[in-house]
Amino acid sequence: MKVLKYIIIVLMILNPNLSIAQSENLQNKITKNLRCLICQGQSVYDSDSQFANSLKVLVEQKLSDGLSEKQIYNYLKDRYGEWILYDTEFNKNTYFLWLLPILMFIIGGAIIFKLFILKKN
Amino acid sequence: MASLIGSFALVFGLCLSIFIIFFSIKNFKDNNILDKKVVSLTFLQFFFVLISFFGLIISFVNSDFSNETVFNHSHTTIPIFYKISGAWGNHEGSLLLWLLVLTLFLFLFISTSKKQAKQYRILTLLFQQIIIIGFFIFLIKTSNPFNYIFPVPNEGLGLNPILQDPALAIHPPILYLGYVGSSIIFSSALSAASLSYISKGWAKHIKQWVLISWIFLTLGILLGSIWAYYELGWGGFWFWDPVENVSLMPWLALTTLLHCILVLEKRLALTSWVVILSIATFALSMCGTFLVRSGILNSIHTFANDPERGLFILIFLFILIFLSIAVFFFFHKNENQNIKNLFWLSKETSILVNNWFMMYFLSVVLIGTIYPIFLEVFSSEKISVGPPFYHSLIIPFLIPFLIAMAFAPRLKWIKSKIEDKIQMIIFFVISFFISLLIVKNFDIDFLLNTILITSAFYLFFITLKDFFSKRIGNLAQNLAHFGFSLLILSILFNNIFSKEVITNLKIGETFISEDFKINFENVDKKNEKNFKAIIGKFNIENIDGNIEVLNPELRIYNQPNIITSEADIKTNLLTDKFITMNVVQNQDYFNVRYQVKPFMIWIWISVILISFGGLISILKKKYEN
Repeated sequence: MKVLKYIIIVLMILNPNLSIAQSENLQNKITKNLRCLICQGQSVYDSDSQFANSLKVLVEQKLSDGLSEKQIYNYLKDRYGEWILYDTEFNKNTYFLWLLPILMFIIGGAIIFKLFILKKN
Repeated sequence: MASLIGSFALVFGLCLSIFIIFFSIKNFKDNNILDKKVVSLTFLQFFFVLISFFGLIISFVNSDFSNETVFNHSHTTIPIFYKISGAWGNHEGSLLLWLLVLTLFLFLFISTSKKQAKQYRILTLLFQQIIIIGFFIFLIKTSNPFNYIFPVPNEGLGLNPILQDPALAIHPPILYLGYVGSSIIFSSALSAASLSYISKGWAKHIKQWVLISWIFLTLGILLGSIWAYYELGWGGFWFWDPVENVSLMPWLALTTLLHCILVLEKRLALTSWVVILSIATFALSMCGTFLVRSGILNSIHTFANDPERGLFILIFLFILIFLSIAVFFFFHKNENQNIKNLFWLSKETSILVNNWFMMYFLSVVLIGTIYPIFLEVFSSEKISVGPPFYHSLIIPFLIPFLIAMAFAPRLKWIKSKIEDKIQMIIFFVISFFISLLIVKNFDIDFLLNTILITSAFYLFFITLKDFFSKRIGNLAQNLAHFGFSLLILSILFNNIFSKEVITNLKIGETFISEDFKINFENVDKKNEKNFKAIIGKFNIENIDGNIEVLNPELRIYNQPNIITSEADIKTNLLTDKFITMNVVQNQDYFNVRYQVKPFMIWIWISVILISFGGLISILKKKYEN
């Protein structure tokens, strides 16, 4: 992984276009994670509604202002609520959301494991 | 007139339920032959619902706007094909279709289960009648498709343009065949559990129904995905939207059941688990209907937001779940438990592991879908659970799952050992190097992608090898597993290699990128009966100088007045070229989205292969009999 990072850094120095491409990628990544609030189950990136287009411009602006991905999410979260973020955060509201499936997996594993223990006794 | 007949036919159909129940209870104990009356009444009930359904279709074809459903969902200018499909493209009509399939399947069940014990058949019929009565009442009371309006309007309100599409015309019936098929499995499992009828023979018999529902559910989901891909205009085929998830959940449960029932068929073990899964599959199908119909989920499938309907389904669902739990705990005796002599390396264990992972995937989808609803109810906070949640919880678990899928079918029942160890390792190493070569050229998460593609390739090669070697035991399974590896590979490559350009173009302008030139040559106009279209002509020049012409459309529908954007897609075996254009208000340019999507067609082909595996399994059973 480290090697890869260095390669990217070297490439960025050699090729200024790449950094533009990178920020475009970041903008796409961010808008893919935002819900288009007036659409039905579409991300801002995928939608062509007025709302989505204005958000795309906004994200581009914030990126050029030097805000990080995280800062932009927080900014939009304050304005529109958590509903706008497709990438669900891990916080007190969502502990169960993230941990319950994992718990189910562990329980399932335990049940199967128990079948083998039973067999031995 | 047609509406009137349809409406009466529904009431007759409901009344027949009383007779069916009466005669079957009478017949339950008196002798060993199933009363012919019960069979003919079951057919008659199906026949009445069929008449009712035709009544609705005829009303739609004749644009009989005295019928409220027709008025709300049709228009004189719609092509005849969409007038007909409009009959089930709405809440009332789609429930009538549910009922039609319910009665059809019950009739098929009764007439094809002659080899089974009479009491079991009758009890299954009774459970099925409870569901049928529930749907009759729901239909007549809260969503009657034959409501009359007076004075009769001259023109209808029209059908939502995005529903005017061939794939979407057949998507609901196919999906419903799958959903409703699970009701037979549910009734049959409950009846078998309460009569202690669960045996290897029963497993063999019910497996047919599991396979049939599974094939239809798979194809139904596929059709929905294909439709979303070309109609919604963003080139995706799965967005982990709640309505997509509710169709995936019964599919996951059914797939689990399909594997688990093998253990029952061969070893007479896991009986309780089979019953639980049968109940769960149907409960999830009903849950899906409830969530979609109640308007809780915000989506295109929400035809009408009527809380009364949601409440009815919710109560009905609770009654059914309560009933099944009661039957399970009071009547089901868990007699045969020869799972005790379980060896760690055997087919049984591998199926248990399959069930374990499938249940995990199911719980991810289930919790991801319903958690936001509960959170909103209890804390009034609204969160979105989107693709990143599902991806991060499902993808890592997919890796061991894929590898297990490759070698598990080679294991034998009871006790087994791994054969051809060296060969298996060689295949793994080959897969690893291939994926390394692919991944290293792209700026993506290196480690995860390499391992994921390795495991998918591993399954791909192993199933391919098993297909060509003589030791192939089970063609159906081999094909389905191969299809799954192809599906995962196509999705991964589609994700990694996709290219996309979003730009604003005026007529005559050209967009130039490294790999292609997009020339917006001109626009054309076309007038159809129910819409006007603006057709763009785009010349795409590829890097090799090859020019392709794509014609995306903007359609302005007159009834209702909606603008839709129709993608133009050029498909070949390697990639799809996908283009859409959109109007930008008060501007003279169009917003153009051009995508190159590799292996798109292989996603569809692999799902068809998977369901083909199911079909072969059914045919093989027929042949053996």
